[in-house]
Amino acid sequence: MTRTICALAALMTAGAALAQEPTLIRFGRGFAAEEQVWLMSARPDLAPNQGKKYQLKQILFQANPERFQAFLAGELDGGTAPGLAVIFARAQGVDMKIVANICLEAAGQQWFSTTYMVKDDGPVKTVKDLKDGTIGVVGYKTATDLWARAGLLNAGLVPDQDTKVFSLGFPAMGDSVRTNKIQAGTFVEPFYSAEVAKGGLRKLFTAREAVGYDHELLDVWFGEKFLKAHPDVVRAFLADYVAVTKYYLSHTEQAKRDLAKAGFVRTPVEIYVKNADWKRDPNGRLDVESLKKLAAFMHDKLQWLDKPVNVDAMVDQSYLPR
Amino acid sequence: MRPLIVVLIVLAAWELVSRSGLWSPILFPSLAKIGGALWAFVSRPEGFTQSWTTLYRAFGGFAAAALAGVLLGMLMGRSAFVAATLDPLFSGTYAVPKLALFPIFIFIFGLGSLSKIALIFLECLYPMTIITYHGSRSVNRVLLWSASNMGASRWRTLMRVVLPATLPYIFAALRVALPVALIVAIITEMISSVDGLGYLVTYSLSSLRTDRMLALVVVISLLGLALDRALVVLRNRLVYWEKLDTYYV
Repeated sequence: MTRTICALAALMTAGAALAQEPTLIRFGRGFAAEEQVWLMSARPDLAPNQGKKYQLKQILFQANPERFQAFLAGELDGGTAPGLAVIFARAQGVDMKIVANICLEAAGQQWFSTTYMVKDDGPVKTVKDLKDGTIGVVGYKTATDLWARAGLLNAGLVPDQDTKVFSLGFPAMGDSVRTNKIQAGTFVEPFYSAEVAKGGLRKLFTAREAVGYDHELLDVWFGEKFLKAHPDVVRAFLADYVAVTKYYLSHTEQAKRDLAKAGFVRTPVEIYVKNADWKRDPNGRLDVESLKKLAAFMHDKLQWLDKPVNVDAMVDQSYLPR
Repeated sequence: MRPLIVVLIVLAAWELVSRSGLWSPILFPSLAKIGGALWAFVSRPEGFTQSWTTLYRAFGGFAAAALAGVLLGMLMGRSAFVAATLDPLFSGTYAVPKLALFPIFIFIFGLGSLSKIALIFLECLYPMTIITYHGSRSVNRVLLWSASNMGASRWRTLMRVVLPATLPYIFAALRVALPVALIVAIITEMISSVDGLGYLVTYSLSSLRTDRMLALVVVISLLGLALDRALVVLRNRLVYWEKLDTYYV
C-alpha cells in the first residue's frame, strides 16, 4: 500500500514537472543566410524567452523538400524556407504559414544578392550568349532555378529549350564554370567571395536584377496546427527572433564570430565576417507584395503552379511583436 | 499466384494507410492518385523518351562492364599471374562506394551521359569480374583433362569447355549487375541531369508531388522486373543444360 502511494506521488510530481516544461519547438533550419535564426541557439542569452516560454531544437536540413516531408511526418513544428518553397508547399495543400522575414534579395551596394557568374575570358558577354549553353542552379524548382529562368526569359531565351538548366552543388559551381562544363553558375556567400578571390569569373546578373524587384528570399514558417495550439509560444519565439535580428544587425561581426565559434559556419571566420550580407528587416516584417509577384511569375511565366495561390492566406504577421 | 497475393496485400495496406488520415496524403497519396500519375506518364511520348534515356545509359555502362568483366574474369580464372595481379585490386576496392567518385567523373567526362555511363561501368565491372572469375576457376577438372587428352588446343579448350562451363556464372553475374546498372543510372540522374527517370524523380520530389514520384518508382520497378525476366529467358535458351528453377520461369 505504502509503495503504491509513493509511486503515485512520484508520478504526480513528475507530471507536474513535465507540465511546467516550456513547449519544445522543433525547428528545421538550412545552411545559408539564416544567421539570426542560428544565433538564437548559438547565443541563447540573447533570447530571454528561450528556456522559459519555449525550448528550441534546431534540426539541419540540406534541402526544402526534405524539410517539408519531415513537417508532414510530424517531426517538425516550423522552420526556415525560401518564400517560393512555401508557395509550392501551400499549392500542394501543406498547412503552413509564413510568419516572419529572414532576408531579402535587394538592390543596393550594401546588400548581397545571389549572383550568376561566367568565365571572365569566355564567350558569354551577355545573357543572350547563353543560347545553346548550360546554366547551373542548386536544385530544380528552387529560388536559384527561378532566378536563372527569369534571367533567361528577360534575354528572350526559353529555359530548357535554348539553354539547359542544370542542377549542381554550390561547391562545384566555380570549377564547373572555369572548365566550361557549364557556361554560367549560381553563387551565394560564402562561395561567391571565395570564387571571386580565386579570379577568372565575372558577374553576369544577380537574382534581384533577374526578377526586377526586391523580394523575399528566406522566411520563418510554422505549421497551422502549431500556431493555433501554441500562439503564445510562437509570439515569445518571434519576440526573441526580432531581438536577435536587431542584435545581429547592430553587432554583425561579433554575431558572426559567435556563430563560427558555435560551429554553425565552416567558412574561415576572417573571410566570413567580411562577406557581404543579404538585406534583413530588423522587425522581421515581410514584403508580402513581392511574394505575390513571385507567385504570379511562378504560375504565369514558369507554369510551376497548376493554379494561382492565395498569398494573403499563407502569410500571418500577427505573431510578430507590434 | 503467391507473389500476386503479396503485391495485393501491400497495395491494400498502402490504401488503408492513405485513407486512415494518420499521415498526410501528400506523403501517402492514394492508389488512385498514383495510378493517375502513372497513366499520365505512360500515355505521353515524353514518358518513353525519358525511360529510354535512362535505359540507354544503364545498358551502355552495363554492356561495357559485361564485356570487360567477362574478359577479365576469364583471364583471372585461367591465369594465376593475372589473378595474383588483379585479385587484390578488385577485392580491396569492392566495398568502396563508387558513387563517391561521381564528381570526379563529371569533371573528366562532363555533365552529360558519358560520366553516368562510366560510373555504371565501374559499378557493374566488380560483380561481373569477380563472379566470372570464380566461375572459370570452378570448371570441372575432368572436363579439362578430357579435352587435353583429346588434343584440344588451349583456345579450343577455352571456347568449348571453359566458356560453356562458366556461362551459368556469367549469367548470374549479369543478373547481379543489371539492377545495379539501373540503380546507378537513376541515382546519377538524380544527382545531376536534365533528363531521365532519376531527373523526373528529383523534379517530382522538388514539386512535393509524391504521387508522381511513386508512379516513377512503379515504372522503374517494372522495368527492372522486365529486364531480369528477359535475362532469365535468354539464360535458359543459352544454358539449356542447366535451367534456372525459379518461381517465374
